[in-house]
Amino acid sequence: MTQALLIVWRESVEALLVIGLLYAWLQRLPARHRPQGKRALWLGVLAGTGLALLLAALMLLAGTSLSGPAGEWFQVAMAAVASALVLQMVIWMAGSNATPQSRSAPSHPGAVALLATLAIAREGSEIALFLYGAAASSGSAGMLTGALTGLLVGVLSFAILQRGSRLLNWRRFFQLSTLLLTLLGGAMLMSAVDRASSLLMGLELPAAAYDWLGNAMWDSSTLLDDSSRAGALFASLTGYRAHPPLPGLLMLASYWLLAWWGCHARRVRYAGQLSV
Amino acid sequence: MAGALPLSTPVAALLLSLFANAVLAGGLPTVELEIRDGAFDPAVIQVAAGQRFKINLHNRGNGPVEFESLALRVEKVLGPGVSSFVVIHPLRPGRYSFFDEFHLDMPEGIIEAH
Repeated sequence: MTQALLIVWRESVEALLVIGLLYAWLQRLPARHRPQGKRALWLGVLAGTGLALLLAALMLLAGTSLSGPAGEWFQVAMAAVASALVLQMVIWMAGSNATPQSRSAPSHPGAVALLATLAIAREGSEIALFLYGAAASSGSAGMLTGALTGLLVGVLSFAILQRGSRLLNWRRFFQLSTLLLTLLGGAMLMSAVDRASSLLMGLELPAAAYDWLGNAMWDSSTLLDDSSRAGALFASLTGYRAHPPLPGLLMLASYWLLAWWGCHARRVRYAGQLSV
Repeated sequence: MAGALPLSTPVAALLLSLFANAVLAGGLPTVELEIRDGAFDPAVIQVAAGQRFKINLHNRGNGPVEFESLALRVEKVLGPGVSSFVVIHPLRPGRYSFFDEFHLDMPEGIIEAH
Protein backbone atom coordinates (compact mmCIF):
# COMPACT_ATOMS: atom_id res chain seq x y z
CA MET A 1 0.00 0.00 0.00
CA THR A 2 2.80 2.41 0.86
CA GLN A 3 4.26 1.66 -2.57
CA ALA A 4 1.02 2.51 -4.35
CA LEU A 5 0.84 5.72 -2.39
CA LEU A 6 4.43 6.52 -3.28
CA ILE A 7 3.96 5.87 -7.00
CA VAL A 8 0.82 7.97 -7.32
CA TRP A 9 2.37 10.83 -5.38
CA ARG A 10 5.65 10.74 -7.29
CA GLU A 11 3.95 10.54 -10.67
CA SER A 12 1.61 13.40 -9.86
CA VAL A 13 4.02 15.77 -8.12
CA GLU A 14 5.16 17.47 -11.33
CA ALA A 15 1.60 18.20 -12.48
CA LEU A 16 0.66 19.23 -8.95
CA LEU A 17 3.48 21.77 -8.82
CA VAL A 18 2.82 23.20 -12.29
CA ILE A 19 -0.91 23.60 -11.69
CA GLY A 20 -0.48 24.68 -8.08
CA LEU A 21 2.01 27.41 -9.01
CA LEU A 22 -0.12 28.66 -11.91
CA TYR A 23 -3.17 28.73 -9.66
CA ALA A 24 -1.32 30.63 -6.93
CA TRP A 25 -0.15 33.07 -9.57
CA LEU A 26 -3.65 33.62 -10.98
CA GLN A 27 -4.89 34.11 -7.43
CA ARG A 28 -2.64 37.15 -7.14
CA LEU A 29 -3.89 38.87 -10.28
CA PRO A 30 -6.30 41.78 -10.02
CA ALA A 31 -9.82 40.38 -9.49
CA ARG A 32 -11.04 41.25 -12.97
CA HIS A 33 -8.34 39.11 -14.61
CA ARG A 34 -8.81 36.04 -12.42
CA PRO A 35 -11.90 34.29 -13.83
CA GLN A 36 -10.53 34.03 -17.37
CA GLY A 37 -7.24 32.52 -16.26
CA LYS A 38 -8.81 30.12 -13.79
CA ARG A 39 -11.36 28.94 -16.33
CA ALA A 40 -8.49 28.16 -18.72
CA LEU A 41 -6.60 26.33 -15.96
CA TRP A 42 -9.52 24.12 -14.92
CA LEU A 43 -10.43 23.42 -18.53
CA GLY A 44 -6.83 22.28 -18.99
CA VAL A 45 -7.04 20.04 -15.92
CA LEU A 46 -10.22 18.49 -17.27
CA ALA A 47 -8.77 18.00 -20.76
CA GLY A 48 -5.57 16.56 -19.25
CA THR A 49 -7.49 14.02 -17.21
CA GLY A 50 -9.47 13.05 -20.30
CA LEU A 51 -6.31 12.71 -22.41
CA ALA A 52 -4.60 10.66 -19.68
CA LEU A 53 -7.53 8.23 -19.56
CA LEU A 54 -7.63 8.06 -23.35
CA LEU A 55 -3.89 7.32 -23.55
CA ALA A 56 -4.19 4.66 -20.84
CA ALA A 57 -7.11 3.02 -22.67
CA LEU A 58 -5.17 3.11 -25.96
CA MET A 59 -2.17 1.47 -24.29
CA LEU A 60 -4.40 -1.38 -23.18
CA LEU A 61 -6.30 -1.73 -26.45
CA ALA A 62 -3.69 -0.80 -29.06
CA GLY A 63 -0.60 -1.21 -26.90
CA THR A 64 1.79 -2.53 -29.53
CA SER A 65 1.49 0.51 -31.77
CA LEU A 66 1.41 3.00 -28.91
CA SER A 67 4.43 1.47 -27.16
CA GLY A 68 6.44 1.68 -30.39
CA PRO A 69 8.43 4.64 -31.75
CA ALA A 70 5.32 6.63 -32.76
CA GLY A 71 4.00 6.62 -29.21
CA GLU A 72 7.44 7.47 -27.85
CA TRP A 73 7.80 10.44 -30.20
CA PHE A 74 4.39 11.59 -29.05
CA GLN A 75 5.69 11.54 -25.46
CA VAL A 76 8.77 13.49 -26.57
CA ALA A 77 6.55 16.10 -28.24
CA MET A 78 4.29 16.42 -25.19
CA ALA A 79 7.25 16.99 -22.86
CA ALA A 80 8.99 19.42 -25.23
CA VAL A 81 5.87 21.50 -25.86
CA ALA A 82 5.11 21.60 -22.13
CA SER A 83 8.66 22.80 -21.49
CA ALA A 84 8.33 25.56 -24.12
CA LEU A 85 5.01 26.64 -22.59
CA VAL A 86 6.60 26.88 -19.13
CA LEU A 87 9.32 29.07 -20.63
CA GLN A 88 6.71 31.30 -22.24
CA MET A 89 4.76 31.47 -18.96
CA VAL A 90 7.84 32.40 -16.91
CA ILE A 91 8.72 35.18 -19.33
CA TRP A 92 5.15 36.49 -19.30
CA MET A 93 5.26 36.53 -15.51
CA ALA A 94 8.51 38.51 -15.52
CA GLY A 95 6.62 41.46 -17.02
CA SER A 96 4.47 41.61 -13.91
CA ASN A 97 7.35 41.76 -11.49
CA ALA A 98 7.95 45.51 -11.46
CA THR A 99 4.72 46.69 -9.87
CA PRO A 100 1.62 44.85 -8.66
CA GLN A 101 -0.49 47.24 -10.76
CA SER A 102 1.12 45.96 -13.93
CA ARG A 103 0.07 42.36 -13.28
CA SER A 104 -1.90 41.51 -16.34
CA ALA A 105 -4.14 38.66 -17.36
CA PRO A 106 -2.42 35.71 -19.02
CA SER A 107 -1.50 36.82 -22.50
CA HIS A 108 -2.70 33.50 -23.84
CA PRO A 109 -5.29 31.70 -21.72
CA GLY A 110 -5.00 28.89 -24.25
CA ALA A 111 -1.35 28.43 -23.29
CA VAL A 112 -2.33 28.07 -19.62
CA ALA A 113 -4.95 25.47 -20.56
CA LEU A 114 -2.57 23.53 -22.83
CA LEU A 115 0.19 23.50 -20.21
CA ALA A 116 -2.22 22.12 -17.58
CA THR A 117 -3.42 19.52 -20.09
CA LEU A 118 0.08 18.32 -20.94
CA ALA A 119 1.27 18.36 -17.33
CA ILE A 120 -1.55 16.02 -16.32
CA ALA A 121 -1.62 13.83 -19.43
CA ARG A 122 2.13 13.13 -19.31
CA GLU A 123 2.14 11.16 -16.06
CA GLY A 124 -1.61 10.77 -15.59
CA SER A 125 -1.84 7.96 -18.12
CA GLU A 126 0.76 5.99 -16.14
CA ILE A 127 -1.16 6.49 -12.92
CA ALA A 128 -4.37 5.35 -14.63
CA LEU A 129 -2.65 2.21 -16.01
CA PHE A 130 -1.02 1.46 -12.67
CA LEU A 131 -4.35 1.75 -10.86
CA TYR A 132 -6.04 -0.41 -13.49
CA GLY A 133 -3.39 -3.08 -13.00
CA ALA A 134 -3.59 -2.78 -9.22
CA ALA A 135 -7.38 -3.10 -9.23
CA ALA A 136 -7.28 -6.11 -11.57
CA SER A 137 -4.65 -8.03 -9.60
CA SER A 138 -5.22 -9.81 -6.33
CA GLY A 139 -4.86 -7.82 -3.15
CA SER A 140 -6.41 -4.91 -4.97
CA ALA A 141 -8.16 -3.50 -1.90
CA GLY A 142 -4.89 -2.55 -0.23
CA MET A 143 -3.49 -1.14 -3.48
CA LEU A 144 -6.60 0.89 -4.14
CA THR A 145 -6.62 2.28 -0.62
CA GLY A 146 -3.00 3.25 -1.12
CA ALA A 147 -3.71 4.88 -4.46
CA LEU A 148 -6.69 6.82 -3.15
CA THR A 149 -4.63 7.94 -0.17
CA GLY A 150 -2.01 9.06 -2.71
CA LEU A 151 -4.58 11.17 -4.51
CA LEU A 152 -5.69 12.62 -1.18
CA VAL A 153 -2.09 13.45 -0.29
CA GLY A 154 -1.85 15.13 -3.69
CA VAL A 155 -4.88 17.31 -3.01
CA LEU A 156 -3.45 18.09 0.41
CA SER A 157 -0.10 19.08 -1.15
CA PHE A 158 -1.99 21.43 -3.46
CA ALA A 159 -3.77 23.04 -0.51
CA ILE A 160 -0.52 23.42 1.44
CA LEU A 161 1.12 24.99 -1.61
CA GLN A 162 -1.70 27.54 -1.83
CA ARG A 163 -1.57 28.29 1.89
CA GLY A 164 2.20 28.53 1.87
CA SER A 165 2.29 30.84 -1.13
CA ARG A 166 -0.01 33.27 0.68
CA LEU A 167 2.47 33.58 3.53
CA LEU A 168 5.08 35.01 1.19
CA ASN A 169 5.15 38.62 0.16
CA TRP A 170 4.82 39.42 -3.52
CA ARG A 171 8.50 39.64 -4.26
CA ARG A 172 9.45 36.39 -2.53
CA PHE A 173 6.51 34.58 -4.08
CA PHE A 174 7.46 35.90 -7.48
CA GLN A 175 11.09 34.77 -7.17
CA LEU A 176 10.28 31.37 -5.77
CA SER A 177 7.50 30.49 -8.22
CA THR A 178 9.57 31.67 -11.18
CA LEU A 179 12.53 29.55 -10.04
CA LEU A 180 10.40 26.45 -9.42
CA LEU A 181 8.56 26.74 -12.73
CA THR A 182 11.79 27.25 -14.67
CA LEU A 183 13.31 24.19 -12.96
CA LEU A 184 10.24 22.10 -13.81
CA GLY A 185 10.34 23.28 -17.42
CA GLY A 186 13.99 22.26 -17.61
CA ALA A 187 13.14 18.85 -16.16
CA MET A 188 10.46 18.36 -18.83
CA LEU A 189 12.96 19.33 -21.51
CA MET A 190 15.49 16.80 -20.17
CA SER A 191 12.88 14.06 -20.15
CA ALA A 192 12.14 14.87 -23.80
CA VAL A 193 15.87 14.79 -24.62
CA ASP A 194 16.33 11.43 -22.84
CA ARG A 195 13.47 9.84 -24.74
CA ALA A 196 14.56 11.34 -28.05
CA SER A 197 18.16 10.17 -27.48
CA SER A 198 16.96 6.66 -26.79
CA LEU A 199 14.88 6.71 -29.98
CA LEU A 200 17.75 8.09 -32.07
CA MET A 201 19.94 5.38 -30.57
CA GLY A 202 17.75 2.86 -32.38
CA LEU A 203 18.39 4.40 -35.79
CA GLU A 204 21.24 3.67 -38.17
CA LEU A 205 23.58 6.60 -37.57
CA PRO A 206 27.33 7.11 -37.89
CA ALA A 207 29.03 5.38 -34.92
CA ALA A 208 30.22 8.73 -33.53
CA ALA A 209 26.59 9.82 -33.11
CA TYR A 210 25.92 7.08 -30.54
CA ASP A 211 28.88 8.20 -28.44
CA TRP A 212 27.73 11.79 -28.74
CA LEU A 213 24.20 10.87 -27.65
CA GLY A 214 25.19 8.53 -24.86
CA ASN A 215 28.61 9.41 -23.44
CA ALA A 216 28.49 11.26 -20.14
CA MET A 217 30.39 14.55 -20.00
CA TRP A 218 31.09 14.00 -16.31
CA ASP A 219 30.07 11.86 -13.36
CA SER A 220 28.63 13.63 -10.33
CA SER A 221 27.01 10.54 -8.85
CA THR A 222 29.19 10.73 -5.74
CA LEU A 223 27.68 14.16 -5.04
CA LEU A 224 24.09 13.21 -5.85
CA ASP A 225 23.24 9.84 -7.38
CA ASP A 226 20.25 10.21 -9.70
CA SER A 227 19.68 6.46 -9.76
CA SER A 228 18.81 6.49 -6.06
CA ARG A 229 15.15 7.07 -5.17
CA ALA A 230 15.63 10.55 -3.74
CA GLY A 231 18.08 11.50 -6.47
CA ALA A 232 15.64 10.36 -9.14
CA LEU A 233 12.87 12.49 -7.66
CA PHE A 234 15.22 15.48 -7.56
CA ALA A 235 16.23 14.79 -11.18
CA SER A 236 12.61 14.54 -12.31
CA LEU A 237 11.84 17.97 -10.82
CA THR A 238 14.98 19.86 -11.84
CA GLY A 239 16.49 18.17 -14.90
CA TYR A 240 19.58 17.18 -12.90
CA ARG A 241 21.64 14.33 -14.38
CA ALA A 242 24.59 12.64 -12.68
CA HIS A 243 25.92 11.43 -16.07
CA PRO A 244 24.83 14.13 -18.51
CA PRO A 245 25.48 13.54 -22.21
CA LEU A 246 26.28 16.58 -24.36
CA PRO A 247 22.88 17.04 -26.14
CA GLY A 248 21.01 17.31 -22.84
CA LEU A 249 23.58 19.72 -21.42
CA LEU A 250 23.38 21.96 -24.48
CA MET A 251 19.59 21.94 -24.44
CA LEU A 252 19.35 22.68 -20.72
CA ALA A 253 21.95 25.46 -20.94
CA SER A 254 20.10 27.04 -23.90
CA TYR A 255 16.83 26.75 -22.01
CA TRP A 256 18.16 28.56 -18.94
CA LEU A 257 19.87 31.20 -21.07
CA LEU A 258 16.61 31.81 -22.94
CA ALA A 259 14.68 32.02 -19.67
CA TRP A 260 17.16 34.50 -18.24
CA TRP A 261 17.37 36.58 -21.39
CA GLY A 262 13.59 36.53 -21.97
CA CYS A 263 12.80 37.61 -18.41
CA HIS A 264 15.47 40.27 -18.49
CA ALA A 265 14.26 41.72 -21.82
CA ARG A 266 10.68 41.78 -20.61
CA ARG A 267 11.54 43.48 -17.34
CA VAL A 268 13.54 46.13 -19.19
CA ARG A 269 10.63 46.73 -21.54
CA TYR A 270 8.17 47.10 -18.69
CA ALA A 271 10.50 49.37 -16.73
CA GLY A 272 10.80 51.55 -19.85
CA GLN A 273 7.04 51.80 -20.27
CA LEU A 274 6.55 52.79 -16.68
CA SER A 275 9.07 55.61 -16.78
CA VAL A 276 7.64 57.12 -19.99
CA MET B 1 9.70 33.11 -30.44
CA ALA B 2 11.01 32.40 -26.98
CA GLY B 3 10.16 28.74 -27.40
CA ALA B 4 11.89 28.37 -30.73
CA LEU B 5 14.97 26.64 -29.43
CA PRO B 6 13.36 23.97 -27.22
CA LEU B 7 10.84 23.33 -29.98
CA SER B 8 13.42 22.67 -32.68
CA THR B 9 14.17 19.25 -31.16
CA PRO B 10 10.63 17.86 -31.39
CA VAL B 11 10.31 19.21 -34.93
CA ALA B 12 13.50 17.47 -35.97
CA ALA B 13 12.37 14.47 -33.96
CA LEU B 14 9.03 14.28 -35.71
CA LEU B 15 10.67 14.51 -39.11
CA LEU B 16 13.04 11.71 -38.19
CA SER B 17 10.21 9.61 -36.80
CA LEU B 18 8.67 9.47 -40.24
CA PHE B 19 11.31 6.98 -41.25
CA ALA B 20 12.19 5.72 -37.79
CA ASN B 21 10.48 2.42 -38.41
CA ALA B 22 11.98 1.92 -41.85
CA VAL B 23 15.62 2.27 -40.90
CA LEU B 24 15.54 0.61 -37.51
CA ALA B 25 18.74 -1.25 -36.99
CA GLY B 26 18.84 -4.85 -38.11
CA GLY B 27 22.34 -5.83 -36.98
CA LEU B 28 21.93 -4.55 -33.46
CA PRO B 29 22.87 -6.94 -30.59
CA THR B 30 19.49 -7.86 -29.16
CA VAL B 31 18.34 -9.29 -25.85
CA GLU B 32 14.90 -10.75 -25.19
CA LEU B 33 13.37 -9.88 -21.84
CA GLU B 34 10.08 -11.27 -20.58
CA ILE B 35 8.21 -9.51 -17.80
CA ARG B 36 5.54 -11.44 -15.93
CA ASP B 37 3.75 -9.25 -13.36
CA GLY B 38 7.02 -7.79 -12.17
CA ALA B 39 9.21 -10.93 -12.55
CA PHE B 40 12.04 -10.63 -15.11
CA ASP B 41 13.24 -13.50 -17.27
CA PRO B 42 16.23 -13.42 -17.48
CA ALA B 43 16.89 -11.48 -14.29
CA VAL B 44 20.50 -10.80 -15.29
CA ILE B 45 21.38 -9.58 -18.77
CA GLN B 46 24.97 -9.75 -20.02
CA VAL B 47 26.02 -7.26 -22.68
CA ALA B 48 29.24 -6.04 -24.23
CA ALA B 49 30.43 -2.69 -22.91
CA GLY B 50 30.93 0.18 -25.34
CA GLN B 51 28.30 -1.02 -27.77
CA ARG B 52 24.66 -0.05 -28.01
CA PHE B 53 22.12 -2.84 -27.77
CA LYS B 54 18.44 -3.46 -28.01
CA ILE B 55 16.17 -5.03 -25.41
CA ASN B 56 12.99 -6.59 -26.77
CA LEU B 57 10.44 -6.34 -23.99
CA HIS B 58 7.53 -8.76 -23.78
CA ASN B 59 4.82 -8.34 -21.20
CA ARG B 60 3.60 -11.90 -20.56
CA GLY B 61 1.73 -11.01 -17.38
CA ASN B 62 -1.92 -10.27 -16.73
CA GLY B 63 -1.59 -6.57 -16.04
CA PRO B 64 0.33 -3.53 -17.31
CA VAL B 65 4.03 -3.16 -16.41
CA GLU B 66 6.50 -0.32 -16.61
CA PHE B 67 10.05 -1.28 -17.48
CA GLU B 68 12.24 1.37 -15.89
CA SER B 69 15.90 1.96 -15.21
CA LEU B 70 16.95 5.07 -13.34
CA ALA B 71 20.61 4.54 -14.17
CA LEU B 72 19.91 4.16 -17.90
CA ARG B 73 17.16 6.80 -18.03
CA VAL B 74 14.63 4.63 -19.84
CA GLU B 75 11.04 3.88 -19.03
CA LYS B 76 8.48 2.04 -21.08
CA VAL B 77 4.90 1.21 -20.22
CA LEU B 78 3.54 -2.04 -21.66
CA GLY B 79 -0.06 -3.20 -21.55
CA PRO B 80 -0.72 -6.93 -20.99
CA GLY B 81 0.41 -9.00 -23.99
CA VAL B 82 2.25 -6.07 -25.54
CA SER B 83 5.81 -6.29 -26.91
CA SER B 84 8.09 -3.36 -27.62
CA PHE B 85 11.76 -2.47 -27.35
CA VAL B 86 14.26 0.00 -25.98
CA VAL B 87 17.72 0.74 -27.36
CA ILE B 88 20.40 1.43 -24.76
CA HIS B 89 23.40 3.64 -25.41
CA PRO B 90 26.94 2.18 -25.24
CA LEU B 91 27.63 1.40 -21.58
CA ARG B 92 30.78 1.60 -19.54
CA PRO B 93 31.62 -1.70 -17.78
CA GLY B 94 29.46 -2.06 -14.71
CA ARG B 95 26.13 -3.14 -13.29
CA TYR B 96 22.93 -1.28 -14.07
CA SER B 97 19.69 -2.14 -12.34
CA PHE B 98 16.18 -2.05 -13.80
CA PHE B 99 12.78 -2.74 -12.29
CA ASP B 100 9.06 -2.82 -12.95
CA GLU B 101 7.70 0.42 -11.56
CA PHE B 102 4.23 -1.08 -11.28
CA HIS B 103 5.52 -4.00 -9.17
CA LEU B 104 8.04 -2.45 -6.83
CA ASP B 105 7.78 -5.33 -4.36
CA MET B 106 9.47 -7.64 -6.91
CA PRO B 107 13.27 -7.98 -7.10
CA GLU B 108 15.21 -5.78 -9.53
CA GLY B 109 16.88 -7.02 -12.67
CA ILE B 110 20.51 -6.32 -13.56
CA ILE B 111 22.32 -5.46 -16.77
CA GLU B 112 25.99 -6.40 -16.62
CA ALA B 113 28.26 -4.70 -19.14
CA HIS B 114 31.68 -6.35 -19.60
